[in-house]
Amino acid sequence: MSVKDGLAGLRDFWKEYSKVGSGKVGLGILAFFVVLAIVGPFVVPFPGATEHWQDITYWMDNPRAAPPAWVNLFRARKGAVSERVAAGAPSVAEAASGQRRAYPIAYEYRADKPPRDLIFRFKGRGKVALSLEVTRPDGSASELYRGQGELGEGFKRISVEHDAMGGVIALVNSVDEFVGSGLDPASNRPCALLFAEIDPDMADSPRPLKGEYAFTLGIELKSEGAAAEAPELLVSGEVSGILGTDVSKRDIFTGVVVGIKWALVIGFLTSIITVIAGVVFGVVAAYFGGAWDWALTRLYEFVYLLPVLPFLIVLSAIYKPSIYTFIVIVCLLFWTGPYKPVYSIALQIKEETFVEASKALGSGRMRIIFRHIVPILLPYSFAVMALSIPGVIVYEASVSLLGLGDSSIVTWGQILEAALSQGAMINNLWWWVIPPGLMIALMGMSFAFIGSAMDKILHPKLKTR
Amino acid sequence: MYRKYLVKRVIYGILMYVVMIFTYSALFNRVAEETVRAQIEEQVAKEAIKYRNVTPEQLRALIEEQKAIKIRQHHLDQPYFLRVVWRAADTLRLDFGSSTLMKAPNGDRSVLAIIGNALPRTIVLFTTEVLVVTALGIVLGLYAARRPNGPLDRAISLVTMVTNGLPAWWLGMLMIMFFSYAVPIFPSGGIQSNPAPAGAAAVLDFLWHLSLPLLTLVFLSVWGTAYLIRNIVLSNLQEDYVMAARARGIPERRVLFGHTLRTSLPAIMTMVILSLFSSIAGNIIVEGIFGWPGIGNLYFIAVQQNDVPVLMGTLAIETFLNMLGFILLDLVYGLLDPRIKVGGKA
Repeated sequence: MSVKDGLAGLRDFWKEYSKVGSGKVGLGILAFFVVLAIVGPFVVPFPGATEHWQDITYWMDNPRAAPPAWVNLFRARKGAVSERVAAGAPSVAEAASGQRRAYPIAYEYRADKPPRDLIFRFKGRGKVALSLEVTRPDGSASELYRGQGELGEGFKRISVEHDAMGGVIALVNSVDEFVGSGLDPASNRPCALLFAEIDPDMADSPRPLKGEYAFTLGIELKSEGAAAEAPELLVSGEVSGILGTDVSKRDIFTGVVVGIKWALVIGFLTSIITVIAGVVFGVVAAYFGGAWDWALTRLYEFVYLLPVLPFLIVLSAIYKPSIYTFIVIVCLLFWTGPYKPVYSIALQIKEETFVEASKALGSGRMRIIFRHIVPILLPYSFAVMALSIPGVIVYEASVSLLGLGDSSIVTWGQILEAALSQGAMINNLWWWVIPPGLMIALMGMSFAFIGSAMDKILHPKLKTR
Repeated sequence: MYRKYLVKRVIYGILMYVVMIFTYSALFNRVAEETVRAQIEEQVAKEAIKYRNVTPEQLRALIEEQKAIKIRQHHLDQPYFLRVVWRAADTLRLDFGSSTLMKAPNGDRSVLAIIGNALPRTIVLFTTEVLVVTALGIVLGLYAARRPNGPLDRAISLVTMVTNGLPAWWLGMLMIMFFSYAVPIFPSGGIQSNPAPAGAAAVLDFLWHLSLPLLTLVFLSVWGTAYLIRNIVLSNLQEDYVMAARARGIPERRVLFGHTLRTSLPAIMTMVILSLFSSIAGNIIVEGIFGWPGIGNLYFIAVQQNDVPVLMGTLAIETFLNMLGFILLDLVYGLLDPRIKVGGKA
């Protein structure tokens, strides 16, 4: 079999393959996954997710356990959506104490349920004095926050929810002191009051005040060398993102997309290694026979008889493996899959006349194995590979679900483990449980389609009379 | 001839089982040492508080003495190699010893009692599943095979592929979320209500708790089984005797259930027996999700608590079941196909 023959064979195979509808669907889904795995990390809303998945501060501006944004379509009372609003150009005034910049930030409020929080943040250094003012659609205006301090590393944040209760009550007082005096700061949320019409019922059944909220963030640079970059407003919405957030405020869509890469890496790496090992061992045992056959068959029995999941769990619990050690362990356990069929096919091929002819022409063992036996086994090996990938992905997810996986990477199993241990089921946080599992299922489905399409080509006998 | 094959196969099986138990023993003794030493330290320290009227020197001596006794009890004074041999030998004699921490509900610490307590629950869930799945699978598979490429056949093969990579525990999570919390029809886990009802109500209560995990498992595996049975039946339906039967005017129902099912039965039975064997080991994660206190759950708790005797006992039993199924399969095939021999050339 030369390279040309191989290519021709491949072309014929593809011709056959493309006739099977389900095979094309499977290949399509897989291609979609591969593209998403490559492009995904750059287009997700939180590009640093891979490194910062376990880092609480990276996610702290998201709402906690918020449903996906599209649930608004099915709700009578819409929730405010998480979004990011950039500040406009500042008006600059030079004062005696330093430069004073006023950044206008306009937030359009169209929902019925207020956001969980509004966070104004910027980076800078030196000593600054800060002020935050708001003008609401009904014309009422007030200062929400005033403070000063030294800027350090990272973002300076002003959270309406944490820093502006007094300011919001002052705003209500400026319109109606009677209503304002009846508000208890301990039992009301600043954001709920800020986005409600001012009336005596505003604490119990607030009516949303829709329209444009004009915020002004004043930054006064008070020390030599002080600086501030353009600030932004992060709306921590009632609903958030494509797939919502989890209890640790992480964006689930980002996690699910980032997880594709690992599913593919784990699936492909293990299945390629196991299939190669299984084929080589099977051929060697069949072709060499004798002691090789005996030893490899005993080894096969040994591994075959190990209870896979219990054994995997014990090893994971003892050695706390990284993802690569996990792959090695899985390879050691999974090569038995293709071994037996390969063994029996190789036994048959060994007795074929063309092998005998090749032997008579003086071919060595290696030549016969790699030129005559292995090429015939190749298509079969690909089918086995495709069919074994979902199993490996599920095993990784299962081990992760038990909290024994590699927690330094983001996999679908890790996301589901968090969901399970942090009460997603009791609290009915379906957007946390469904997507990662659905991805596992979809991935498994695509490989099943591909594998069965190959199977149909390889075993035409199952086609019916 | 067959007897010789049988004896050879069984002896090979036993030897392989011994090798595997030794491997487990070697693996676990390494883990056990640290855990047991830490536990001994803790126990001795706890007991030391109770000593009264002793000088510090006496106390120290007492603690050392206690430690030495405990270390001897756990064979930690012997070399690693010997401990591996002893644990393996004990396991092979079915003497699993007593657990380090875990207890059966009646306070018994013998591993056999702990496993004996969990085993029936696993069998009730998973063996029932296999039976239900087989019954449904045979019916679905037969009807699918009757009209290959018909709507039922296509539906079954499609659902088989769609559910191929679907983890049972994830489906379980969804079922619990929807049927226990969103629409509370079924309990979210466990095997009985608290407090447990008495009499006939207890049985109903148990069945009520059984239904959600059973439903999940059956829903997931019935398609694959139906598909397999369809393939077995279909290859038989293409035999000439079926055509002959049809030609003789025998009704299709009888061809299907009489002729074809009968010839397919050996293959189906092998499949069923194998899945019955493996069902006894349960499923660690599904049991964990549904809070089903069977073997799988027991195993996972043992992993978390590092309870080596329980781990060893459970693994030994599971491996034994695997082995039994494996040998049985070989023997059945050997009986059906005399060409298969140990070390025979094809």
